[in-house]
Amino acid sequence: MFDPYYLQQLAIGLSQGVIYALMAIGFTLIFGVLNVVNFAHGEIYTLGAFVGLLVITALAPPLLVVVLVVAAVGAAFGVGLERIAFKPFRRFSDEASLKSRAMRESTLMSSLAVSIVAREGLELAFGSQMQTLPFDQLINKPIALGPITIVTGDVIIFAVAAVMLIGLQWLLTRTRVGLAIRAVSANPLGAKYVGIDTDRTIILTFAIGSMMGAAAGVLVGLYYGAIFPAMGFVPGIKAFVAMVMGGLSSIPGAVICALLLGLSEGLATTFISSNWADMVAYGFLIVTLIFFPQGLFGAGRERV
Amino acid sequence: MSALIEIDHLTRRFGGLLAVDDVSTAVAPGELVGLIGPNGAGKTTLFNLISGFTPPTSGTVRFKGEAIRGLKPHQIAGRGLSRTFQNLRIFPNMSVFDNVSVGAVGAMGQSALGAVFGGRRRSDAITARTFEALERVGLTAQAHELAANLSYGRRKYLEIARALAMKPDLLILDEPAAGLDDSETAELARFIRTLNGEGLAIMLVEHDMNLVMGICSRVVVLASGRKIADAAPAEVRADPAVLEAYLGVEA
Amino acid sequence: MSEIRRLIRPVPILLALVIFVAVPLGLAQFGKGYFFQIANLVLIFALLAASLHLVAGVAGLLHLGHAAFYGIGAYVAALLGTELKLGFLWGLPAGGLAAAVLALIVALPTMRLVSIYFAVATLAIGQMIHTVLLNWVSLTKGPNGVLLFSGIKLFGWAAKTPVAIYFVVAVVVAASIFAIHRLGHSYYGNALRSLREDDQCADAMGIDTVRLKIEVFTLSAFFAGIAGALWAYTTGYVSPTDFNFSNSILVLAMVVVGGLGSLPGAIIGAFLLILLPEVLRGFGDVRNVLVGLVMFFSILFLPKGLFGEVSALTFVRRHFGRSQNRVPGGEVGW
Repeated sequence: MFDPYYLQQLAIGLSQGVIYALMAIGFTLIFGVLNVVNFAHGEIYTLGAFVGLLVITALAPPLLVVVLVVAAVGAAFGVGLERIAFKPFRRFSDEASLKSRAMRESTLMSSLAVSIVAREGLELAFGSQMQTLPFDQLINKPIALGPITIVTGDVIIFAVAAVMLIGLQWLLTRTRVGLAIRAVSANPLGAKYVGIDTDRTIILTFAIGSMMGAAAGVLVGLYYGAIFPAMGFVPGIKAFVAMVMGGLSSIPGAVICALLLGLSEGLATTFISSNWADMVAYGFLIVTLIFFPQGLFGAGRERV
Repeated sequence: MSALIEIDHLTRRFGGLLAVDDVSTAVAPGELVGLIGPNGAGKTTLFNLISGFTPPTSGTVRFKGEAIRGLKPHQIAGRGLSRTFQNLRIFPNMSVFDNVSVGAVGAMGQSALGAVFGGRRRSDAITARTFEALERVGLTAQAHELAANLSYGRRKYLEIARALAMKPDLLILDEPAAGLDDSETAELARFIRTLNGEGLAIMLVEHDMNLVMGICSRVVVLASGRKIADAAPAEVRADPAVLEAYLGVEA
Repeated sequence: MSEIRRLIRPVPILLALVIFVAVPLGLAQFGKGYFFQIANLVLIFALLAASLHLVAGVAGLLHLGHAAFYGIGAYVAALLGTELKLGFLWGLPAGGLAAAVLALIVALPTMRLVSIYFAVATLAIGQMIHTVLLNWVSLTKGPNGVLLFSGIKLFGWAAKTPVAIYFVVAVVVAASIFAIHRLGHSYYGNALRSLREDDQCADAMGIDTVRLKIEVFTLSAFFAGIAGALWAYTTGYVSPTDFNFSNSILVLAMVVVGGLGSLPGAIIGAFLLILLPEVLRGFGDVRNVLVGLVMFFSILFLPKGLFGEVSALTFVRRHFGRSQNRVPGGEVGW
C-alpha cells in the first residue's frame, strides 16, 4: 500500500486540492457574506492569470511583485464585478431588506452572464489557445522529498493558501472590517441599523474574495506554465463543490473539502485516466447533495 | 357517527420547544370546529402536522379511519383534506382560473400524455369543476385576471376556491380573516357558515375571537402547545383556564 | 398583459406559414445550402429552447445541463446510424428516448433537491455526460466526434436536397413544438406552473410535486434528444464541444431573453440568438459574448423577457429563495 507511487499521487492530489482551496476561500467568503453564488469567480481567477501574463511579459518583476499586482487588479475586478452584476439588482429589493432574496438570486444569472462575457471576451482578445508563460518565471523547480518529488509551486501555493486562510481569520475576527463583514453576514439589516456601511462592506468582501481568486489564478498559471480563457471554469466548479460539501458558509470546511477533493482525484487517477478525474468531483457533489444535505461539516442548510 | 379526523396524542418537538404537546381531538363529518390560542400556541404547527407538512414527533392522525401519519402532503390532500395558508399563498403569475384549476387537477389528475393526445372529457371535467369553484366564491367574472391583480380580500376567496376545487371532505382554513376589515370578516363568516351548511367539515384557525365564537359549533383552545379547552363556544368563553391563557394575554 | 396575449395568438399560424412556405421559397432563390444549414440550426435551437422552456419557464426549474441531453440524442442517433446502420426513422425516436431514459435515471435521486442545489446538480450532471462523451473514446470516438454519412431516408425516399432536409427538420420541429405547446396549455401545464409559483402550496393541492418534476425533466430531455438527432442528421457530424456548458447556457439565454414561461418567447429567443451572430459575422466570432451580453441586459432591463409571464427575477427569486434562509446564528467563517 505504501508504495512511493501512491505517495507521489497523494502529493499531486494534495497540491491539486490546495489549488482548489485557494479558489474556494474567496468563493466561500462571498457566498458566506452575501449568500450569493458568484458564478464569475472562475473568471476573476482567469483574469488574474492573464493580468499576470501581461505583467510578466511587460516587466518581468519578481514573483512577489507579480502576485501583489495581480491581487490589486483582482480586487479592482471584484469591485467592478460587484458594481456591474450585483449592485444593480439591489434596487429591486426594498429599503428594508438589503440582502433580500431578489438581489441574492437574480445575481446568480447576472454573474453567470458577466462570466460568459468575460470569458468570451478573453477568447476574442487572446484566442482560445493556451498562452505560455515565460519559462524562467515558472514555479515548477522540482524538490525531492524522500521517495516523492514536489515542485516549488506546491510549497508556494500551500504557503499562500495558508497565509490567506490565517489572514482571513485574522481579518474576520480581529479587525473592525472583519467585524463589519461578519455582522453583515449574520444580519445585514441589524448591521445597517447599528451604523455599519453595508454597501462598503459588501464591496470590500468582493474585493477581498476576488483578490484571492486572482492571486490563485496567477499562481496556478505559473505552476502549469500555460493559461487559457476557459481555465477558470473547472476550478470554479470544484470550488463550488468544495463549498457545498463544506456546508456552504464555512471557509475551513470548504478548504478541508477542497483538499479531500484534490486527494481523491489524485488517487482516482491511479485507477482511471486523468480525463475521467473530473467525474470524481461531480460524483462527490451529487452524493453530497443527496446524502449530506447539511454538507459534511454541517453549517447547515434547509431542504424544504 | 365516526369521526372524520381523529387526532390522537399528537406531539411535535422543535429542538427544546414543544410546539404541539400531546394534543387529541376529533372532527365529525359536517362539523365546524374553531382552533384558537395566543401567538405561538402551536395552531399552525398542528395544521402542518395534520396536512403532512411537518412530521409529528409522536402521536397519530386518522383521516376517514386511515392513519395518515407519514404520508406526503399531496397524498393527504388526495384523500380529501384541503387547506389554505396563513400568509395567503396564491400563484401570483397565473390567472385566477388557472389558480383554481390547480386544485381541480390536483384532485382529478391529468397525465402528460393525456395533455398532448388526450380527448376533451377529462379536461372538460376539470374546467367544469374549476368554474364551479369560482362560481362558489363569486370570482367568475375575474376568471381571466392575473391573480396578482386581485385585491387582498378577493385573493382570500381565490385561495378558498382553489381548495374547494379539490372537493375536499375536510377544509382547513388557516387564519382566513387576517388582514380583513370588519365587514369583510362578516362576509367571510357568512360564507364559511354557508359552506359548512352544505355539509363540508371545516377546521378554522383564527385570531378573531368573535368570528370563531360566532360561527363554530365547538372550539379547541391551545396554549403553549397544549390543549386547554375543547367545548362549545359558550363554555370556552367561561373557562377560567382559557381566560387566563388567552384572554388574559389579550387584555 | 392580455393585449400581448391577443397579439401572440395569430403567431403560430403565421410562424407555420413562414416556416413551411416563405423560408423555403426565399432560401431556394439563393440556392445556397449554407442558408438552409442556418435555417435548420434555427429550427433545432427553437426546439431546444422550447424543451428547456418546459422545465425552466413553465415548471420553474433552473436547468444548467440541458445541452447534455441534446448531446445524448445526437450521439445515439449518430452511433445507431454508423455502428448499427439504423437510419433516421430509428435514430430520431431512439435519440429522444435515450435522452429521456437517462434524464429519468438522473432525475430520480436529484429532483428532490430544491433551488440552487437543483441548478448545481443539473450543471454537474451535464458536465458528467459531457465528460463521458469526450472520454469514452471506444464508443464516442472522443474529441474527434462521429461522422454520419447516411443522410435522411424515410421509407425508401431519401431527403437529398437542402430543401428536402429542411422540410424534414421543419416537420419534426413543428410537431414537437406543437406537443410542447399542448403540454404547456393544458391542466397538466397548470400543475407545472404551480410548481414554479409555490411548490409547497402545490403539494397541498394534491399535486405530487416530485413526480411532476421528474416527469417534466424527462419530457424536456426527450425533446432535447429529438433536437440532437436532428442535429446529427443535418450536420452529419457530432462532437462533444457542441454539447458543452456554453451550449446549455446559450439555450437558457434564449429562454430568458424570450421571457420565462412563454413558448413563443423561447422560440423567438432562439431565432435572435442564432441569427444575430450570423448577421454580425463580420465582427468575428461574437456569438458567445453576445449571449452573455444579451442575457445580462435582458435580466437588467427586461426582467420579464420579451413575452414573459414571469419575470426572470421572480423566477430566480422563487427558485432560490427558500433554500438559503440562513440558519440562526450562522455566519461566515469559523
